[in-house]
Amino acid sequence: MPRRKRRLASRIRAYIRGLLSFLFSNVGVIVLVVAYTIAGAFMFQAIEGESEMERMTHMALERNNTAENLWQNVTLALNLFNETAMKERITIELIHYQKKIVFAVRHGWDGGRSSRQWSFSSAFLYSLTVITTIGYGHLSPRTNWGKVVTILYTLLGMPLFLLYLTNLGELLARWFKCIYALVCHCRGCPGFTKRRAARFRQQLDISDAESIERPPHWKSGYLDSDCTPEYRIPPNARDFQRRPDYFRSASMPQPWERREALPAQPRGWSEPLAFRTDSEGTSEFSYVTFDAQTITVPISVCVCIMVGYIIFGSMLFGMWENWDQLDGAYFCFISLSSIGFGDFVPGERVYTPRIETSFIACSMYLMLGMALVAMCFNLMQVRLYKILKIFVFEVKLLMRLPTRLR
Amino acid sequence: MDRQPVNASYHGSMRSRDSSSTGSDAREKIKDCFRKFVAFMFTQVGVGALVVCYAILGAASFMHIEKDNPDEQLQHVRKWRQSCAEELWNITVANNIFNETSWVLKVDKVLKVFQNNITAAVHTGYNGRSPEDIWSFPAALMYSLSVFTMIGYGNIIPKTIWGKIVTIAYACFGIPIYILYFCNMGKVLAQTFKWLYITAHECSRRDDAVFEEGEIIPVKRKITVPSTACLWVISFYILTGTIMFGAWEKWNYLDSTYFCVISLCKIGFGDFVPGANISDSAGGSHLKLVINFIYVLLGMGLVAMCYNLMCEDVRVKVRELKEDLKNCLDDITLKITVCMNDTKHFHQKQSRHVK
Repeated sequence: MPRRKRRLASRIRAYIRGLLSFLFSNVGVIVLVVAYTIAGAFMFQAIEGESEMERMTHMALERNNTAENLWQNVTLALNLFNETAMKERITIELIHYQKKIVFAVRHGWDGGRSSRQWSFSSAFLYSLTVITTIGYGHLSPRTNWGKVVTILYTLLGMPLFLLYLTNLGELLARWFKCIYALVCHCRGCPGFTKRRAARFRQQLDISDAESIERPPHWKSGYLDSDCTPEYRIPPNARDFQRRPDYFRSASMPQPWERREALPAQPRGWSEPLAFRTDSEGTSEFSYVTFDAQTITVPISVCVCIMVGYIIFGSMLFGMWENWDQLDGAYFCFISLSSIGFGDFVPGERVYTPRIETSFIACSMYLMLGMALVAMCFNLMQVRLYKILKIFVFEVKLLMRLPTRLR
Repeated sequence: MDRQPVNASYHGSMRSRDSSSTGSDAREKIKDCFRKFVAFMFTQVGVGALVVCYAILGAASFMHIEKDNPDEQLQHVRKWRQSCAEELWNITVANNIFNETSWVLKVDKVLKVFQNNITAAVHTGYNGRSPEDIWSFPAALMYSLSVFTMIGYGNIIPKTIWGKIVTIAYACFGIPIYILYFCNMGKVLAQTFKWLYITAHECSRRDDAVFEEGEIIPVKRKITVPSTACLWVISFYILTGTIMFGAWEKWNYLDSTYFCVISLCKIGFGDFVPGANISDSAGGSHLKLVINFIYVLLGMGLVAMCYNLMCEDVRVKVRELKEDLKNCLDDITLKITVCMNDTKHFHQKQSRHVK
């Protein structure tokens, strides 16, 4: 009885530990980034909102001045029936006014739309573009305090966003490898591995400290598997320490993964372990412990994912913003590569009551998109590095330069 | 991206060719030169030159594509202005000239329509200049730079379809080249800075000698460059930029600092761009654009250097932080379970007492 309680206690402890570390590393970072952006939105709205009101009144004043000038200089001064001369004067006055408008708009004035430029959702998009270093520029700080706060906000926010990207990129890469292995190789979902490992554990009799979970029906060998891809059992449980959870790089294979022992024969997962004898040695263990993390995803798949996401974005924003397909794809590409010109920004040209949701939708699209880009980099980096090394090696060989064999 | 350095040691190739006969073949010499050149191209300086060449190539192509584009927006704006003038004339003709208030009201409405049209035009990229004015060579150079360094100022943008497609392709190829430049430049500068720092350190501590078995052996300590040194270097560079741009562009110092930080952080709003203001004529701003180009490129190299030097430091610190966090969590969960057990025992004792 006390043994079961001890097992239960250790199970609970391990579960809580796993949950908390998962929260702190992945979900926590997302929440932190969103909270930081929201805080930034409030801050910038407070700082820049007042100066926006000033600029609006300033432009109204300009318009009145122009009307006054027209009245004074043009209508009163000239002979009323000389049409061409009067039109010329009017045109000169209008050119002045036009230059003033262009200057004001390019320096942040909105053109008098009834929605405020620094509303909450546009300030949210602004904060997001600052920490992702996209930097559209359709909205930029005009007050001195706004500029100082932008600088400080950048310096803190960029490392935070990089952390978000690395964490999320790793997590997504791990899941994607799991899915890819499942789809393309018909093996490798670690739920199967856990079942196998449970049966294997039964034979090896591993101590409590090393097992994560001991479900009540473990003797029967079947347990509900939840896909926790990082759980693996090492070939010899006594010699190897348990793989640390969640903080590992998913793309680098661990030293005890024996890739050459992976079987080429397409055996199905339904083969029961109990039929194997112990004498079959380590190849059996490596078959049992097939890990989806050891496969490399081809580059074309990553490129397809990115292109698909860009097309999805272009369709979505093209529908909402009345952009044509090329403009939508151009916008998505320029935003996701963090270039961010700012010539196309959702909600800038078409003024609809849906402008607030446009900004929020754009922000979510950007956050998810950058995570996908990070995931693709994570997946591609091993392959790209290998290709680059081979290329350099070949070129050096061709040029008969001294090559360094690694 | 921690990769092994791609160092082609052409010194090695020279050594290996020592024994070969140098007398006869000029062709051999040429081949050797060519090999050395390729090896040089693979080094860091070669990558820098590659980046500059790529930028120049991009500038030339964008200029060619965008310069001769007949900008419809100019014609639109001219049309609006004419129609506005027409309407104003009609108002003046139709109304009684001595009724100022009603005249002003009507004129105000017309002006508002005109204003909205112009504002919409500016939002779609109009800025009062014709494409020949905008797309000068230095401006196109800055544009190419802002594309592949992912800064993306946005004060100059492509309007043609071909311009947009070429921008996308240019970015697809340019960003990896830039990342290569970033990593290599960062490594070179980091090594240089480390060497400088260590020599400065050793010079200042030359008297620290240790007596070991009767010999004087200088203390060889592993010296790592602290992160603060990197931050000082970056601050100094930003200060230089502030003074330079403040003097040239007549910005105040806050605006210059703001511009430098925003450019070096690759955000690039585009509200401040040296030499590309609307009111600037094409003449004197060319030199400024080139200097801005060099400043940004060098600044990116320095940022790469700091990233390189601080990477190890930050990684160690983050690992320590995670360890601390983990221990903290373990303590908390332990305390919770102990607390639960205590309360359970307490209740059991209570029930036994009652019995």
